[in-house]
Amino acid sequence: MSDFDMELDARGLNCPLPILRAKKSINSMTVGQVLRITATDPGSVKDFEAFCQQTGNELLATTQEGGEYQFNIRKS
Amino acid sequence: MAKRLKAAERKATILAVAKVLFSDKGYHGVSVDEIARRLGVSPAILYRHFPSKEALYEEVLNDIACKRESYVDAVVNSDGSFADMLRKITRIYIESVSKDPDYLRMEMQSALEGSDATRQFFENRWRPFTDFIEFSLKELSASNSIEPVNGQLAAMAFQGMVREALYSKCIYRSPRFRDMDLFEMSDYLIGLFFNAVGYTETGT
Repeated sequence: MSDFDMELDARGLNCPLPILRAKKSINSMTVGQVLRITATDPGSVKDFEAFCQQTGNELLATTQEGGEYQFNIRKS
Repeated sequence: MAKRLKAAERKATILAVAKVLFSDKGYHGVSVDEIARRLGVSPAILYRHFPSKEALYEEVLNDIACKRESYVDAVVNSDGSFADMLRKITRIYIESVSKDPDYLRMEMQSALEGSDATRQFFENRWRPFTDFIEFSLKELSASNSIEPVNGQLAAMAFQGMVREALYSKCIYRSPRFRDMDLFEMSDYLIGLFFNAVGYTETGT
């Protein structure tokens, strides 16, 4: 079983597009569901921390591998 | 200058003085000795706060740059439409110019410098516009909300318009935009741009 409900590919996109797309995806989800985002912009780490702080959604995990960043965000 | 400034105050004073000098003469035109002289302290005091001139320059740039958090704010508070987002990110940029008259000079000077710090500065300043406009127009065009338009050209045109207008108004003091404040000018330019790419604000 996967640990997320929806996936967003934000590779190759730069600020503010990854967070804008994440916001749209989260809007379409129900509370408790998890969105996984894959991004390549190093600045997205701080962006998603700030995004979750401001929106109250929960940043469950951030991982980095080979220039790609993955974020799991649970909708609150 | 008072001799016993707290470290944070001292650092802020150094940044403020360095910003004025860098915006006037650029990175290469200013020496650490000159900044120290202007502050009335020894260069050793400067090096206590900043390991090098480049580190100081980088911090001055970061200090006046649009903060990434502002873009996150814009997204969080936006209705998600192309119009609303473009207005918000343009406003972030314009606000940084209106808050600090040295901002544009620093940007122009930094364009002539070749360091990593200046490349970063440039990227942070303009990259959000390029990518956002290009990708958004591609999507709008794919969903038939607008006629096909070259997104790359549109993104460059928008940046060119904003830069040209800001330089005219704030650097050359041209009479062209004299009757508008910076935000009215920004709305005016955005209106022109939407017209040019055939974008109407209703429902998209």
